[in-house]
Amino acid sequence: MTENIVKYPPRGRTRAVKRFLGQFLRDRGAQVGLVCLVFFLIVAAMPNMLVGPLQTAINATGDFLAPPSGQHLLGTDEVGRDVLNLIVHGARISLTIALLATVISLVVGSTVGMASGYFGGWVDTWLMRITDFFFVMPSFVLALIITPVVLEVMGRSGYILGFRLSLFVIITVIGMTSWSFVARIVRSQTLSIKERTFIDRARVVGSSNLSIMVRHILPNLVPQIAANGALVVAGAIYIETSLSFLGLGDPLQPSWGTLLSLAQRAGAASAGAWWYLGAPGVCALMVSLSFVLIGNALDDTFNPRRRAIP
Amino acid sequence: MRDSSDILRLENLQVHFPIQGGLFDRMLGRPCGAVRAVDGLDLNVGRGEIVALVGESGSGKSTVGRVITKLSQPTGGRLLFEGRDMTSQRSSSALRSYRHHVQMIFQDAYQALNPRHTTFDIVAEPLRSLRLVDNDAQLSERVSEALAAAGLNPPGDFFARFPHELSGGQRQRVVIAGALAVKPELIVADEPVSMLDVSIRAQILQVLVDLRDRHNMALLFITHDLPLAWLIADRIAVLYLGKLVEIGSADDITFKPRHPYTVALLNATPQIGGAARPGVPALQGEVPSAARLPNGCRFHPRCPLAFDRCKVEEPPAIEVGPHHMSACWLAER
Repeated sequence: MTENIVKYPPRGRTRAVKRFLGQFLRDRGAQVGLVCLVFFLIVAAMPNMLVGPLQTAINATGDFLAPPSGQHLLGTDEVGRDVLNLIVHGARISLTIALLATVISLVVGSTVGMASGYFGGWVDTWLMRITDFFFVMPSFVLALIITPVVLEVMGRSGYILGFRLSLFVIITVIGMTSWSFVARIVRSQTLSIKERTFIDRARVVGSSNLSIMVRHILPNLVPQIAANGALVVAGAIYIETSLSFLGLGDPLQPSWGTLLSLAQRAGAASAGAWWYLGAPGVCALMVSLSFVLIGNALDDTFNPRRRAIP
Repeated sequence: MRDSSDILRLENLQVHFPIQGGLFDRMLGRPCGAVRAVDGLDLNVGRGEIVALVGESGSGKSTVGRVITKLSQPTGGRLLFEGRDMTSQRSSSALRSYRHHVQMIFQDAYQALNPRHTTFDIVAEPLRSLRLVDNDAQLSERVSEALAAAGLNPPGDFFARFPHELSGGQRQRVVIAGALAVKPELIVADEPVSMLDVSIRAQILQVLVDLRDRHNMALLFITHDLPLAWLIADRIAVLYLGKLVEIGSADDITFKPRHPYTVALLNATPQIGGAARPGVPALQGEVPSAARLPNGCRFHPRCPLAFDRCKVEEPPAIEVGPHHMSACWLAER
């Protein structure tokens, strides 16, 4: 019978994925969001090819605060750097921070939510009290307090994977302060899944708690996690931009928030340099909007009966 | 009865679910009581024997199945497997060896299969989690064997299928194959055919009977259908509100019932061209709540033959024939 070993031909799964994609792509919001997101991902993937290396005060090419022109499509900043150049490089930083923070948030949120819903009892009570703490605490305020303290303790220097350490501090802080609503949603879904008969069956055939959670509950949570993950990304971009705007970003690797902060300090608003303030602002807005659109479309597709909690 | 060869014994088994009163009740200190799903059940299953547990919905028959498969914890009594007390056994190694010997077939085959797992994974799960195979070749051999024994041929064709790609009968066969894969000595089958078409029922029942005949596997067949129980079982136990009212050989229960409840159940079964048994009319009224059991015999409010003693005193199991017990005062005469 050994010749019968089948390496799970993806027949059924492919069909399901196709049906899902067909439905998902028919959503107008998803179309807009995806086009927008793909554009920014391409930009973030190859900034050097598009606009050359990141400009600094030393290799700046333009005038001070020059308005948009043929040479500088989005004008220049107060030291003569091309704003388009800064934006394109900032896209990589902003997206990396947002996506990595989301990964942390989803991992922590799903683990806490699943453990809490599955085990119940005092595990549930305590994990949910901790979740409640993060839930009622505005994550931006929490991040605002934690970030400078951690930066002070850890120091700003050093590189990990080509990103400066201070960026990782921001990533971790955003991740650790935005998992609570993921945990809530995962917990509620776990509570309903664990009552289904196949969980009883898994127990009767001797599966351990860990394997029931990983092999039976988690795969059935993927829709919820994916849909809410997109919303978490939008939130992460918002928090990152706000933190950097308040000066907690890294000036050597500027994100869009850092650019906003620089523009603010250069007096761009009062000098009428709308391109300097507007460009990073619009970018941050568009990316977070596209993630929200994708998240809502995912949620509608997976579960047409229930709208996402924004 | 067959004490020496009993594979499973339930002694005075009780499963009471406490009722959580509201805040108001608790403040006033009102007693909240409990739902007595199973209330003092004695039952034994011999090696290679098919015992049917028959009862209406709410009689606690599924709870008994859940206790035997260690999905629920009894609140009283004992559960003995091959003479060993498994009642409060919780260590994972003991449970693992227990699950190697006791498996379950679920009623709703669609619900019992994870929609995201393939047939292969479903049937392989017990073999993997109980660590019964050493390598992939062995695993795939055992899975094929189990699928073939459950009547899915050729097994290889089903490996990669998801539950939604199978028919109702095939799904039930996959559930059975999953239970068979570990070669258990006792299978608890909770209404295994009630969701299936009549034409497929016979095939599934044949699979179950074949297993007993070939592997000497014992089967506790939980059902609400007395004629079905007679067809498949060696012995029938009739459950009413968490307690056995009558137990005996399948023929005795079907053709010489001694408890009015059994008679009423038999009369409730539609028969083609047959006349109802005389003496007991069809059952009236609802099953009383298991949270508020009647005094005396728990069947007396619905019993057409009840007399004064029934309202006061609960009848014990009275022997009315060889291996035939009935919990009814009428049996005493």
